[in-house]
This record gives sequence, structure tokens and C-alpha cells, in this order.
Amino acid sequence: MPPSFVEDRRKAALEVFESQPVPTWRRSGFWTTTLRKLRLGELEPRRYTPLEELPEIVRQDLGDEEHAGLMVQRGASVVYTHVADERIVMMPLEQALEEHTDLVAEYFARRLPYDEGKFPAATAAFWTGGMFVHVPKDVQLERPIQIVWLIDEPGTAQYAHTLAVVGEFAECKIREYFVAPDLAGQALHAGAFELYALPGSHVNLAHYQDWGSGEVYDLSTRRVEIRRDAQVKWVPIHLGGHLTKQTLDIITAERGSDMRHTGMYFTERDEHLDLFSTDKHEEGHTTGDTVWKGALTGESRASYEGLIHIVPGASETDTYLQTHQMLLSPNAKGDAIPSLIVEVDNVKASHGGTVGELDEEQIFYMMTRGLSRTEAVRVLVEGYFEEVVQRLDDPGLEALVRRRIADKLRGAEQQVREFVAERAEAA
Amino acid sequence: MTLEIQNLHVRTEEREILHGVDLVVRRGENHALMGPNGSGKSTLANTLMGNPSYEVTEGRILLNGEDVTDADPDERAKAGLFMAFQYPATIPGVSVANFLRMAVNAKREEPIKVKEFGRLLGESMDLLRIDRDFTSRYLNEGFSGGEKKRAEILQLAVLQPEFAVLDETDSGLDIDALRIVADGVNRMRVPERGFLIITHYTRILGYVRPDFVHIMLDGRIVREGGPELADELEDKGYEWVREEVAASAP
Ligand SMILES: Nc1ncnc2c1ncn2[C@@H]1O[C@H](COP(=O)(O)OP(=O)(O)O)[C@@H](O)[C@H]1O
Ligand SMILES: [Mg+2]
Repeated sequence: MPPSFVEDRRKAALEVFESQPVPTWRRSGFWTTTLRKLRLGELEPRRYTPLEELPEIVRQDLGDEEHAGLMVQRGASVVYTHVADERIVMMPLEQALEEHTDLVAEYFARRLPYDEGKFPAATAAFWTGGMFVHVPKDVQLERPIQIVWLIDEPGTAQYAHTLAVVGEFAECKIREYFVAPDLAGQALHAGAFELYALPGSHVNLAHYQDWGSGEVYDLSTRRVEIRRDAQVKWVPIHLGGHLTKQTLDIITAERGSDMRHTGMYFTERDEHLDLFSTDKHEEGHTTGDTVWKGALTGESRASYEGLIHIVPGASETDTYLQTHQMLLSPNAKGDAIPSLIVEVDNVKASHGGTVGELDEEQIFYMMTRGLSRTEAVRVLVEGYFEEVVQRLDDPGLEALVRRRIADKLRGAEQQVREFVAERAEAA
Repeated sequence: MTLEIQNLHVRTEEREILHGVDLVVRRGENHALMGPNGSGKSTLANTLMGNPSYEVTEGRILLNGEDVTDADPDERAKAGLFMAFQYPATIPGVSVANFLRMAVNAKREEPIKVKEFGRLLGESMDLLRIDRDFTSRYLNEGFSGGEKKRAEILQLAVLQPEFAVLDETDSGLDIDALRIVADGVNRMRVPERGFLIITHYTRILGYVRPDFVHIMLDGRIVREGGPELADELEDKGYEWVREEVAASAP
């Protein structure tokens, strides 16, 4: 029997889920994220039996890099678990509830209220399988911990929960991959992620999302809590998804904690991406550094809103946030909004942003060195994202991201070329 | 083998800037184009490279007899034309070495071998006394004025074009840097290569002796001569040219 705190939470969450309508998110009147076309009733959690071998798509993305531990959840079931480093605990969350009850009880859902909305409630009520990672005190890992969420059949609803606890002075890399082949039909990933970086720990965290060209909806909440003198470098990467609506929060919760938050997105076709991130400083003497970069092609829509929130009492905080967005198509629409809520004096907080198109002077410069216009555009866009890619500090994942950026640019080549030429004419 | 500029009229959206420029650079020759600020020197250089901000309304540009007036910048580069920019663009996320390798490969059928490229780059860096770690920096990002100029000349050295236009490469360099750059240029002065050195001051011409000097004023070349013209200009200044031109006007 699972402990009652989980069952009670499921019940309460179910009530919230059933009582709330499917939400529509509107911001300032002109930006709307709607789930109008999501046929929720036709989606269902699908169970699978364990796999001997990694699915091809997972193998392709992960490459043959060695890991400290690897788990794959397909649909509603954890189908693959391999723990290479015995110092860590890595197992389905359902199993951890039984085997590590106290530890799970201490952290589970601490930063994830079930009543934040219909889909957080759905996740809290319906999650199955789940991921649990514990890197004990003082353990230092070289190789990454890899978690894969796989959806490979249309009609799937995947309710996800990951709980990661990194002990005092431990050091590790944690990666979550969200992957699907190009599905013919709808699917849903409603996810919850929570990481607790305990005092003095160092975590390099990445989220890699590429749901392919199918109709995958991703409605997720991710929260990172950083305790005294700990540091989390977080790199969320969005490379595909029909509709994505996510809340990404990173919290410096105790003195001396430090967040490095560097994200990117590249949208294409008719994808719709709506991200809201908060860098929350709950304590003074904490530091932050956030950079988000996006590029848009096709008829895609991408909105990134990044908030720095410094609560009363969190003085001597030093933080900044930058957002950049690059339009590569006349039919794409984007929005990148940095904002600031500072409820205390004596802090250093700043934000800035750029929204732009490719710079014709840069393209001209490169062409005078013999590069074609297409190559110049590719090099510029790759260079633009390079700052984010390098923060991954993980050659395998870096190569994957670079490859996918190049693929997307190739896919949009004709369109980008026309757009840039058109803008050059107009200028 | 020549770079020929014939009766070139160039305009931006607002107005005509060059009003009929003629100039011929043969391989092996070193030409200096001098003129006060705003006279149209950079406009000429940019037009030679095909900058889309400038429109050629009359005249033409011939490279080895071939009309390149409407060619794209990359075609001109491949045909052997190079410009060191007065204000080079910054290319974030792209290292000097990577960029140079792409530029070298753009002109080749087969990509250059890693070793061969390393040697080419190493030699050029030695020539210009550039530190090794320079090439891992992103191109022009956070570069000082002098570093940008050196990066331009490094590209010149690696790409080895047939005709090189240097747009005010000397400005913003201190005397030591100027000497190094001038030294580098002198070593690249070979019979197979022509130079058009654009400058506001005569300073660099003390190191890189020109064979011909052209003085531009208000979008026209108004005086031409040998190296002695630069010396005369040094003594008398641009006002002298301006007055002479005014006096000889019909
Ligand atoms: N892209 C441009 N758009 C508008 N005006 C320009 C542009 N480039 C140059 N000009 C104008 O043309 C004139 C010549 O400029 P430039 O060629 O830069 O001179 P120089 O290099 O000799 O200092 C100046 O009056 C300048 O303002
Ligand atoms: Mg100039």
C-alpha cells in the first residue's frame, strides 16, 4: 500500500481536477494559449511491459555516452532502469514510496501544490511510475543521471512526476529527455518535476524536450529549490512540441545559493510555446544569472516571460535576466518579456531583452568571406544558441542539440532565405 | 589581372554618394586611396564587395575582365576579392578559428585537412604576432579596436585573396600594432596580389609604400599621383586639395 500522504494528495487533486474547466491562458489581451483542440477524453495512460533494450529513438538521442543511471518511462510505465553507479538511488517513484518512505515523505511535492490548476491537479492525481533520484551526501558523479519520458503511440496521456534530491556537498548532472517520434495523432505529457539541491551541492540540470512533429501537448511544471551555498545550473531546451505550456521556477531558498538558468527554444511549423519562468530569491545573499534565447520559424508562436522575484527580506541579492528572441520567418510571432518584482531594498537586479531579426550587416560580413547566404544564416543562428549549448557542459547532449538546430535550419532554409532577402529589400 | 572600377555611381536610399569613380588596380600594385572623413571611401570599398545597402546606378566593376557589379558578396570573395572592414561585424558564438576554417573551405572543393589548416593559421598568427588563445574567442566579440583590425588582417593572411581592400585598417592601432600589421601587409605584397589601402592619414603609408595615390573628395577622385602625392598631402592637408579643386573648377 502506498503511504497515505500520496493517496490523500491524489484524492484532493482529483477533486480539483474535476471541478475546474480546461483552462485558457491569456496575457495582456493578445497572447492566448488555448487547449481548444485537445481531445482530452480520447487520451489515456498506457501501460507497457519492461524492455530489454532501449528503444531506437532513445538510443539515438542519448548516444553511447556512459551514465551513472538511466531510467525510461514509456507512457504510464517505467520500462527500463539501469543504475551503473551504486552510490546513488534511482528507481520508479512508486517503488521509492515503499523502499525510501521517509526520504520521499520529506520532500515529495513540497514545492508542488496540487491545486495550482487543472493540469497540475491531473498530474498529482494520475501520475504513475515516476522517477526518484537520490544522490547521497558527498557523492560526486562524473557521469550523468539520465531520465527519459517517452511517448510513442498517439492517444497516450502521460502523467509524470520526478523527484530528485541531491544531498549535501554532492555533485551531479541530471538530464531529463522528453521524446516522441513524429506521432500521427494527439498525445499529452502533463509533468511535474522537483529538485532539491541540499546545502553545498552542485547540480548541473538539463531538460531536453523534442516531442517531434506530432500533436503532442506538454503542460508541465518544474521547480528547483537551492539551499545554502548550493548551486544549480539549469539548462531547459525546447526543440519541439505541438503545444507547450510550462511553468519553470528556480528558487534560491537559503543564503549563499546560486542559480544559473540558461534556456533556449526553437519553434517551427505551427508549434505553440508558452513559457513562464520565475527566478525567485527567497533569501538574501543569493545570486542569479538567467539567459533565455529563442528562435522562431514557420507559423510558430513562442512566448517567453521571465520574472525575477525578490521577496521581502532577501536583501543583498545579485541577479539579472536577459531574454533574446530571433524571428526567422514573417509568419512567426513571438514575445519575450523580462520582468521584475523586487520587494526589498539593497539588491542588484536587472533585466533586459532583445527581439530581432537576423542582422543584414552580419550576413554581409560573412558573405564577403565566401559563405553563401544560407550558410551565413545557419552559422549566425548556431552561434546565437552556442552560449546556451555550452552551458550544458556535456559533449553528448551538446552534439545532440547542435545537430537538431542544424536539422531545423535545414528544414526552414528556403523560408529563412526568402525572409532575409525580403527584409534586405525592405531595408 | 586587374580590378577595374569604371565610372562608378553609387547611392543609398537618400542620395548619391559616389559620382563617377574610375580606378584600376593591377596585381602586384599597391594603391592608396586617401580622403577626409565622409568623402566616400568606405562606400567604395563596400560597393566593391557588394554590400546591399549601396546601389550602383551607373558604371561597373570588373574583376579580371569579368563584370561583377551585380554579383553576390560570396561570389566576389570566391573570385579573389577581400575587404578588411573599417567596422567589422561581431559574430557571437563563432570562434575566430571556426570562422576562418569555414571561409577557407568556402573557396575549396574538398574541405581543408585539420593539420593543414592548423599550419596555415599558425603561420599567419606568427606573422601578425597574435596569441594562440585569440582564435578560440568569438569573432570580434569584446575585441578592442586594435584586436578587430588584427582579426581582419589575420583573415587576409589566411584567405590569401588576389585583391585586398583595407578600409582604414590603420586607424585605432597604436604604433607597435601598426608596425606589426604593416609588416604583415608588406609580406603579403607579392606580384600575384593587388592592394587598395584606404586611409585617412598618411601614417601607414610610411610603412607600406604605395605605388599610386588617389585622393577622394565628396565622392570623386580629384587627384592622382605617385607616393610623393601622399607626402605633399602630409605637408599641406586636405584643405589644400579642397582649395585646389575649387580653384580649378570651371
Ligand atoms: N549606409 C549608408 N546610409 C546612408 N548614408 C551613408 C551610408 N554609408 C555612407 N553614407 C554617407 O555617405 C558619405 C560617405 O561615407 P563613407 O563612405 O563612410 O565615407 P568615408 O569612408 O570616406 O569616411 C557620408 O556622408 C555618409 O554619411
Ligand atoms: Mg570610412
